[in-house]
Amino acid sequence: MASSQPAKPPLIGQPSSAQRGSQPGLRYPASGKTIYHRPLNRSRTQELSQASFAYLFGEMVSYAQKRVTGIQDLEKRLNTQGHPIGLKLLDLLLYREPPRTQTRPLHIIALLQFITTILWKHLFSRPADALEKSSNPETPDEYMISDNEPLVNQYISVPKEMNQLNCAAFVAGIIEGVCDGSGFPARVTAHSVGKGEEGELWPGKTVFLVKFQPEVVEREAYLGRT
Amino acid sequence: MVVYSFYIFDRHTECIYSRIWARRDRPASGSGASTRPVSDSSSSSNPPITDLGPARARPARLSAQDDAKLIFGTIFSLRNMVRKLGGPEDSFISYRTGQYKLHYYETPTNIKFVMLTDTQTLNMRNVLHQIYVNLYVEFVVKNPLSPVEHPGGEGVANELFELALDQFVKGVL
Amino acid sequence: MVVYALIIINKAGGLIYQRDFAEGLNKLSINDYLVLAGTFHGVHAISTRLNPLHSSTARSSTDSRPEPPSGIEVLETENFRLQCFSTLTGTKFLLFTEPDQPNVDAIIRRIYELYADYVMKNPFYQIEMPIRCEVFDRRLGQYLRPLNSR
Repeated sequence: MASSQPAKPPLIGQPSSAQRGSQPGLRYPASGKTIYHRPLNRSRTQELSQASFAYLFGEMVSYAQKRVTGIQDLEKRLNTQGHPIGLKLLDLLLYREPPRTQTRPLHIIALLQFITTILWKHLFSRPADALEKSSNPETPDEYMISDNEPLVNQYISVPKEMNQLNCAAFVAGIIEGVCDGSGFPARVTAHSVGKGEEGELWPGKTVFLVKFQPEVVEREAYLGRT
Repeated sequence: MVVYSFYIFDRHTECIYSRIWARRDRPASGSGASTRPVSDSSSSSNPPITDLGPARARPARLSAQDDAKLIFGTIFSLRNMVRKLGGPEDSFISYRTGQYKLHYYETPTNIKFVMLTDTQTLNMRNVLHQIYVNLYVEFVVKNPLSPVEHPGGEGVANELFELALDQFVKGVL
Repeated sequence: MVVYALIIINKAGGLIYQRDFAEGLNKLSINDYLVLAGTFHGVHAISTRLNPLHSSTARSSTDSRPEPPSGIEVLETENFRLQCFSTLTGTKFLLFTEPDQPNVDAIIRRIYELYADYVMKNPFYQIEMPIRCEVFDRRLGQYLRPLNSR
C-alpha cells in the first residue's frame, strides 16, 4: 500500500516544494502514478484501517450535522453522501466480476443478492445478515436487508434526544446509488431495530428498507409473465 | 531500597521534624549502595543543585520548607478523600509515582509520619509505626526536657532521637 | 477480584465520567465526586513537584527530552487501591479496586482502549465534556462484569 499511496504533502524545505506552485490543488506523487493509474483489480483484497475510517466517518457525520433542520434532514444528507459511492461501486464491482457474469442485475432478487453479497463483502468483508421481502401484501415493493452490527455504527452512540437517527443512512445511500445505477430506482432508509428481546444480542441491529418505485414493480411483473 | 526523606507533622499541621538523606547522584544501575546520608535536620539546606541548563525551564527547586508544606497538603487531601470513599475507618497507607513512593502513618493523637522512599520499597507502615513507638515516644515524649507541644520543631530534634533514627533507618535498609 | 469504580477526569480537572461496578465504596453525591476529581487533579500535580530525585541522567543527555515526572500512579489504603493512568494528553483514568487486585495495569489500558474507540470516535461526543455514550457504557460493562464475578 505504501508505494501506491497518493501524494503526501511535501515537507517544507524539500525540493518538491518548488513544484507545488505549478500544480495547485491536486498533488501527484514523484512517480507520477496516481490512484487513477492503478489497475482496478489490484486493490481488490486490500483493506483499510477501521480506525481511520471511523474518524473520517465521524467527521462526515459532524459535517452533515451542520445547519440541519432535523433528524430527517441529517439522514437525507448522509444518504446523499453515500449515493454517488453506490453509483461508482456498481461499475467497479461489476467490472471485477468474472467475464461471464459481468452483466448488471435484471431482476429485483438478483439485484438485492448482488447488494447483500458482493457489495456487502466489498464494503464490510462479510455478507449481510438477512434479506427479506415485506410480508405485508399492501407493500409488495418493499424489501428489507438487515445487518446485525453495521460497521459504520460500531463506535457511534446516538444521544437520547436524537434516538430516531441511524447513521447507517449513509449505507442506505450507497444501496440507493446501486439500485438507481442499475435501473431500479428506489428509496432506501435505515432503521434501528435493536430494541426489545432482540436488542440484547444485537443492540445495533439495523434494517435497510428498500422501497422500489412503482414502475420497477410493474416491469418486474411483466418480466415474470414472459 | 532507598529512603529519601522523613517528616513528622503535629496535630496543628505544623512540620515539627524533617530529615533529608540527600543524594548527590542517582546511581546508574539503581543497585549501587552509594547512599551517602548527608545528615541534616535543619530546614535551610537543600540537596545540592548542579546548575540547570538554561534550556531547561524547570520550575525552581522548592525550599525544604515549601516541600514540607506541599507534602502536608497532599497527605491531608488524600486522607480526606480516602475517608470519604472508603469510610471513616479507612486509612491511607501510601502512594507511588514513577519516581518515588510516599508512606504515611497517623497515630491516634493525630501525629503524622511521612517517609519518601524509592518506588521499589514495600509497605513501610510498620516501620513508621516502630519509629513512633520506639523512637518518638522513647526519646521525644519521655524526654523531660522536651515540651508537650513542639512549635517550630522545638524538642524533637534532640541528639538521641536523631542518632537513633539514623541508625534505625540504616538498619532497615 | 473486584473492580469497584471508574472515574475519568479531563485535563482541566473536571469530572467527565463516574461509574460504580460493585459495592464496596461509599456512595457520594455528584457534587462530592466533582470535588473529589478536582482535589485529585490538584494533588496529582503537586505530587509531581515533590520528586526527591532530580535526575542527573536527564541533564547529561541534553538532546533527549527527559521523561516528565509522573504524578500519583498507585494509592493504597486499607480498604481499596486506586490506580491512576494519565494519558499523554492529560486525561486521567482512576480505577478503584480491591487492595490486592492483580493486573490493574492491563485493565486500565483496556479501559483506555475502549475510551479511545467508543468515546473519541463517536461524532456526537464533545471533547472534554461529560461522557454520555451508550456503547461505551455497554462495552465497559461487558468487559468488567466477568472480571468482577470471577
